[in-house]
Amino acid sequence: MTCPLLEYRRDGGDHSFETARAYCTATETFVEPMRADICNDRYDLHHAEDCEIYESHASEASE
Amino acid sequence: MSYERYLDGDPVIITAALTGGVHGKEANPNVPETPAEIAAAAQACEAAGASVVHLHARRPNGERAFSRERFQELTTAVRDATDLVIQHSTGGTGAPDDLRHEPLRTDPAPDMASLDMGPLNRYDHLTSENTRALVGSLAAEMRERGIKPEMELFNSGHITEARRLVEQDVLEPPYYGTLIFGGGTLTRPTPGNFLASIHDLPDETLFNTLGFGPHQLPFAAMGIVFGGHVRVGLEDNVYLRRGEKAESNAQLVERAATLAETLERPVATPDEAREILGL
Repeated sequence: MTCPLLEYRRDGGDHSFETARAYCTATETFVEPMRADICNDRYDLHHAEDCEIYESHASEASE
Repeated sequence: MSYERYLDGDPVIITAALTGGVHGKEANPNVPETPAEIAAAAQACEAAGASVVHLHARRPNGERAFSRERFQELTTAVRDATDLVIQHSTGGTGAPDDLRHEPLRTDPAPDMASLDMGPLNRYDHLTSENTRALVGSLAAEMRERGIKPEMELFNSGHITEARRLVEQDVLEPPYYGTLIFGGGTLTRPTPGNFLASIHDLPDETLFNTLGFGPHQLPFAAMGIVFGGHVRVGLEDNVYLRRGEKAESNAQLVERAATLAETLERPVATPDEAREILGL
């Protein structure tokens, strides 16, 4: 399962790309490639455990 | 010892780190990501004075890739476009150990490959572990395939690890290590730490100097003056100066080459770099 905050977009903010890239809907920014592996739960990474942005978002949502 | 190399006018090897595995075009649209973009950037860097190119592979959307196939496509494109010494990254925070070996398995093998010498933190929750077992297995495969390790020394503990490998005869001289300065678990970027680091290296070690972000330029200068080599590029720093993003990797290489020439050290050609590094 990938992060529910993840989208793939070609445009956002001041950026425009030829290929859709990982975009975090919580921070409203395109995601660094290393962080995109967390968003996608690749390898042994998991967004709920390894991403402080998701952690903060989930914490706010539960309040 | 190292200042004598400066006084002797030994050539300085400039390594161009073009892409990296952390940020991409979202940080600076001039970061090359596709094999064609990376090959073109490498060619421009060679013309600007680079003699070594440090390579990371990416997926078409810019995300990290570690497979042999991705590295094969990339390294072939760069070899076809340049005469540079080819250095593959084996770094990969969060990637499983078996994937970390894949960049060593291209045909031909890379001339060099990075060897991260121990743990470092990323973000709030990740650590690139780089266990002794992984470092040892990567070093062994490099030796078997005739690949020279570029030891990445992110902090002083990693210099201790380098000394251990030298004592165990795992590496062949001349040893080559990149001293890395920056935030987090990296050596704090101060001139004092730089001097302490170069004096702590094992005998017969040539050093490369890498400062992240705003430290790229001053640490390149220190590396040149103290007889070391330098690494620059958009992997480590996306700015030319404060508030102004770099237009290309070649722009950063050209600045380093100008710096070396101003300080009266010649810039090594790729063939000179091969000789210096014992390739």
